[in-house]
Amino acid sequence: MYGATVDPVEQVNEDEKLREFEARIGRGEKIEPGDWMPEEYRRQLIRMISQHAHSEIVGMLPEGAWITRAPSLRRKMILLAKVQDEAGHGQYLYHAAETLGASREEMLEALLAGRAKYSSIFNYPTLNWTDVGVIGYLVDFAAILNQTMLARCSYGPYSRAMVRICAEENFHKKQGQDIVIQMARGTPRQKAMVQDAINRWWWPTLMMFGPNDSDSPNTPILMRWGIKTRTNDQLRQAFVNQVVPELHDLGLSVPDPDLSFDETSGDWQFGEIDWDEFWRVVKGQGPCNKERMEARRSAHTDGAWVREALAAYAARQR
Amino acid sequence: MNDTQLPRFQVFLQEQEGQPHQDVGSVHASDAEMALQNARDVFVRRPECTSLWVVPAEAIYSRTAEELAKEGGEKKEAGGEGAENPGLSGETEIYCVFSKAKSAGTQTLVGEVQATSPAEALGEGIARFAGGKAPFAWWVFPARLITRSQPQDIESMFLPALDKPFRLSTDFHTQTAMREIRDRKP
Repeated sequence: MYGATVDPVEQVNEDEKLREFEARIGRGEKIEPGDWMPEEYRRQLIRMISQHAHSEIVGMLPEGAWITRAPSLRRKMILLAKVQDEAGHGQYLYHAAETLGASREEMLEALLAGRAKYSSIFNYPTLNWTDVGVIGYLVDFAAILNQTMLARCSYGPYSRAMVRICAEENFHKKQGQDIVIQMARGTPRQKAMVQDAINRWWWPTLMMFGPNDSDSPNTPILMRWGIKTRTNDQLRQAFVNQVVPELHDLGLSVPDPDLSFDETSGDWQFGEIDWDEFWRVVKGQGPCNKERMEARRSAHTDGAWVREALAAYAARQR
Repeated sequence: MNDTQLPRFQVFLQEQEGQPHQDVGSVHASDAEMALQNARDVFVRRPECTSLWVVPAEAIYSRTAEELAKEGGEKKEAGGEGAENPGLSGETEIYCVFSKAKSAGTQTLVGEVQATSPAEALGEGIARFAGGKAPFAWWVFPARLITRSQPQDIESMFLPALDKPFRLSTDFHTQTAMREIRDRKP
């Protein structure tokens, strides 16, 4: 395509198609499967959507660990429902990627072979019950900010999946916030527990928004094609501005000595993120990367007989 | 690790009686019966469904407005996605016609037509249902290929979600609690 043998007529056609495509994005139209799209648009979307799907699936593990240890039947039912939702969200997203020509087999294989990325936040351990509250309150709220933006994205199937997901994520955030409020109003030991969870999850949550804009090479093209409408740093700031005053109202703090309110901008300014840690965890050196991948692989292997039985039954019906 | 993830079925959901079925996404399953069960687990975790349909994904004949404009005048026979429709009889049968009327909308059932092929069904659907608007995309498939939930399935498949109000964000009064906490502060 970029060689010296490009047919000039073909090239003019491609330029024309790209102009028309960008005009559609400019008019706020959704692109649907079957419509012409640049290969790079397809590639970026498959990358983002499959990573997003993997994150939902791996995201079941840290909280799933607390289902058997939930402190009441009600909390257990809520947590079960939430983890079920994550499984469903993974399915919505794999479907959206499939509309771009990615196959379920390829995506799963990439995850299980360790080639695919997923959100680094799930490579941290859940050490006490309040982690479930803090994950719902902080991690799911961070996800909601990102997903509310993506619900307006230019690709129809991704946008529709996000609309469904956002509605359900609100339940996730509120059940988490409910736990945090309850613990913050509890005994000194309970309050210390929730503060400990916030101390451990605060920085990994800020990392969820991704590298600073200056280190995010994909951002300009994603914004040009209406996939993203806000940058990583803009979303991160919106998160901090909303959450910090709420935590202060609850008598809780965030583990950042540089945190201060800037009167002129109205922003809570925060300290530098440990990007070395961020890249270490992305590259597989986080506290739980190995454990998470092993859990996914054994789930897949242990389920092989079910897939075989289903296929055998379906073959006999024909 | 190269085992199959099974065939794909498109899922259509009716939120309330009297409303049209709408596309919600797809599931993978070994057969239509399992697909319906999976669709229930994936798409109906909350009480907002009275009927579900599943249709083999490869049976759906799909055209966007852009594709139709490109094909315009070419008088093409059935081609592209849906062309290898399994069990296509060539005889007249009922097709379901879906269209996406709004840019940010979703594929919604607009009616049924009689036709001998998906391409003919689409032409007929456009003539009858496009109206003054110009939908952004169309789907057609033979009604015969739908596997649907039955009225007697409602109790076991959809109603249990009603007993789980904790799945809804409205079940948590966090805003009220935060307001109380702020008001009590000096």
